[in-house]
Amino acid sequence: MKDETKFSVKDLNLFYGNFQALKNINMELYKGQITAFIGPSGCGKSTFLKTINRMNDLVEGVKITGNITMDGVDIYKDMDAITLRTRVGMVFQQPNPFPMSIYDNVAYGPRIHGIRKKSVLDEIVEKSLKQAAIWEEVKDKLKKSALAVSGGQQQRICIARTLAIEPEVILMDEPTSALDPISTLKIEDLATELKKDYTIIIVTHNMQQAGRISDKTAFFLTGEVIEYGDTEQIFNNPRDKKTEDYITGRFG
Amino acid sequence: MIKNSNTKLKDGIAGGLIYLSATITVAILIVIIGFVLYKGLPGINLKFLTRMWDDVTTVVDVNRNNVTGNNTEAGYVESLGISIALEDEAVVIKSIDNDSPVKDAVNVKKVPYALKKGDVIGKAGSTNFKNITLEEAKLALNEGTGPIKMKVTRPGGGIVPMLVSTIYIIGLTLIIAAPIGICAAIYLNEYAKPGKTLNIIRFAIQNLAGIPSIIYGLFGMLVFVQGFKMSYSILAGSFTLSIMLLPTIISTTEETLKEVPRTYRESSMGLGATKLQTISKIIIPSALPGILVAIILSIGRIVGESAALIWTAGTIAQIPKTLVGSEAAAATLTTKMYWLIKETADLEQASSIAVVLIVLVIALNILSKFITRRFLKKRTS
Repeated sequence: MKDETKFSVKDLNLFYGNFQALKNINMELYKGQITAFIGPSGCGKSTFLKTINRMNDLVEGVKITGNITMDGVDIYKDMDAITLRTRVGMVFQQPNPFPMSIYDNVAYGPRIHGIRKKSVLDEIVEKSLKQAAIWEEVKDKLKKSALAVSGGQQQRICIARTLAIEPEVILMDEPTSALDPISTLKIEDLATELKKDYTIIIVTHNMQQAGRISDKTAFFLTGEVIEYGDTEQIFNNPRDKKTEDYITGRFG
Repeated sequence: MIKNSNTKLKDGIAGGLIYLSATITVAILIVIIGFVLYKGLPGINLKFLTRMWDDVTTVVDVNRNNVTGNNTEAGYVESLGISIALEDEAVVIKSIDNDSPVKDAVNVKKVPYALKKGDVIGKAGSTNFKNITLEEAKLALNEGTGPIKMKVTRPGGGIVPMLVSTIYIIGLTLIIAAPIGICAAIYLNEYAKPGKTLNIIRFAIQNLAGIPSIIYGLFGMLVFVQGFKMSYSILAGSFTLSIMLLPTIISTTEETLKEVPRTYRESSMGLGATKLQTISKIIIPSALPGILVAIILSIGRIVGESAALIWTAGTIAQIPKTLVGSEAAAATLTTKMYWLIKETADLEQASSIAVVLIVLVIALNILSKFITRRFLKKRTS
C-alpha cells in the first residue's frame, strides 16, 4: 500500500506557559491508515493529538510554533478551527455522551451545522450508528438517554456522534482506557473497519492495542518523538534503545 | 485491647453533644412554627385570603326593576333580587340573583361597581341603616320604583393587595435580575480570562452577597425613589431587590455552570460547534435545573425581604396600578407584617400573615426539590 500524506508536521513546538510540552516534532501522517501514538504518561502524545484538531486552542496560555498542514493547507494559518474540527473529529478518553437522548447525541453535530430536516437527520443517525456497530443494540431505544447504556455502548455512541459530521480524520484519545476488555475489542474491530473510509490517529497506553490495530506507530518520550515507523518494525525491530526498553516493559 | 475506657467516654460525650445540638435545632424550629401557627391560624379564613385590606365605602346607583324572583327567604328584597341579613347590627348582602340589578350598579363617577356578596349596606335612599331591623331595611330598599342611591361598604381585613403586590414584585424583580445575572455568570465562567481582574470581580460579588439588605434599601431609596423620582413604587422596590439578588443569582448560576463537565464543552467544540452554540445547546440545558433552583431561592428571598422594601416600595396596602408614582406604592406580605407590629401591635394578624409566608416558603422549597429531582431522572433514563 502506497503511503499518501494526510498531515505534514514541521518543527512543531508547544508550550504551556514556560513548560515545553512538545519538542521539535516532524512527522508525516498517512491517509487511510491507523497511526498509533504510544509512550508513558505525560510524554506529550495526547497534547500532540490535540494540536491536530486545535483543541489546545481552548487551553489558556498555550503557545505553538511550527506548522501542521492537512492536504497541503496550514491548519493554523489558513483554516478556521470550526472547519478543521468538522473535518477532523475526535473521540475522547472517557465516554462522554451529552445528557440527552441517543438520537439527539448523534444528531447534535449535523444540527449545529444547519441540518434541520427530520428525514435527513434520521438517515444520518441510522448510518452513523450502523458504522459505529451499535445500531442493532440501540435501535429500539433511540429516544432513551445516552447515559442509560453501558460505558462501551456510550463510547460507540460517541464514535457515531463523531462519524455523523462526516469527518475525514478521526482522532482517538485513549478511547478504550475506561472500558472492559470486550468493549475494548469491539472498539478495536470498529477502528480497523473504519480505516477503509477514514484516517485514524489513536493515542494508547496499551501496547498490544497499538500492535493489533495500527499501521504506523510513533513512540513519544518527554515531548519528543523518539521513533516513528511501521508498527511491525517498531515492535519487532526497534532502532532506538529507549523504544526497545519501553516496548519490552522496562519502564513506562 | 486498643480501645480503652477513656476513648469510649470521649466518644460518648461527643456523640451526646451532637444529639443535643440536633435536638435543640429541631426543638427551636418546632417552637417557632408552633407559636406562629398557634397565634396565626385562628385568623386565617377565606375572608382573610380573599378580601382587600381596608374597608372601601362607595356610593352607588342601582336601577331597580321588578325582579320576579320566587324566593321566600326572610331577607329577600324583591326589587333588587338580593337577600340580606343582619350581622353585628349591619345589613349584609347574603346572596345575589343572576339577573339582579345590583350587578349593573355604577358609582358617582358612572363607573360600573358591581355589588358582591358580603358587602355591607350603610344607607339606602334617605334611610340610614344604623340600628335598623331587617324588616325596616327591606322596606327602605323596596320603597318606590326606579333608581335608588345606596352607600355600600366592602369590608376589608384581607391580604389580597399584599399577595398581589408580592407577586408583582417577584415577577418584576426576576424579569430584571434573572437575565442579567445568568448572562453575567456565563460571561464570568465561559468567556472571562482567568486572572487578577476576574478574581477581583468574584471577590466583589461574594462580598455584595453579604451586605445587609437594609443597606440596599437605603441605596434604593436614595437612588431610585429620590434620584430617579420613582417615589415609593413597585419598580423602585424591584430595582433594589434586583441589585440585592444579582450577586446570589450570579454565584449560584456560576457554581452550576462549573459543575457542567468540561468534556461536554470539549466534545461539542470537537464536533465543530462554536462557543455560542456550545453554550446555548449544551451548557445552559445542562445547567438549567441549577439555574431554576437559583431563581426559586431568589423568589424565597424576595418573599422574605422587608428591609430593602420598606423604603423603596412603601407599606401601603393597595394593588399597584402603575409601575411608578403614588399608585405604584405597595406593601408585600412581609413589609405589611413589619408595619402591623410597629404601628398597631396587632400580633394576631401579623401571625396570620406569617403563616401564609411560611406556607409559601415551604411550597417554594418543595418545588425546588421537585425540579432538581425531575431533571436528574429525565437525564439518565
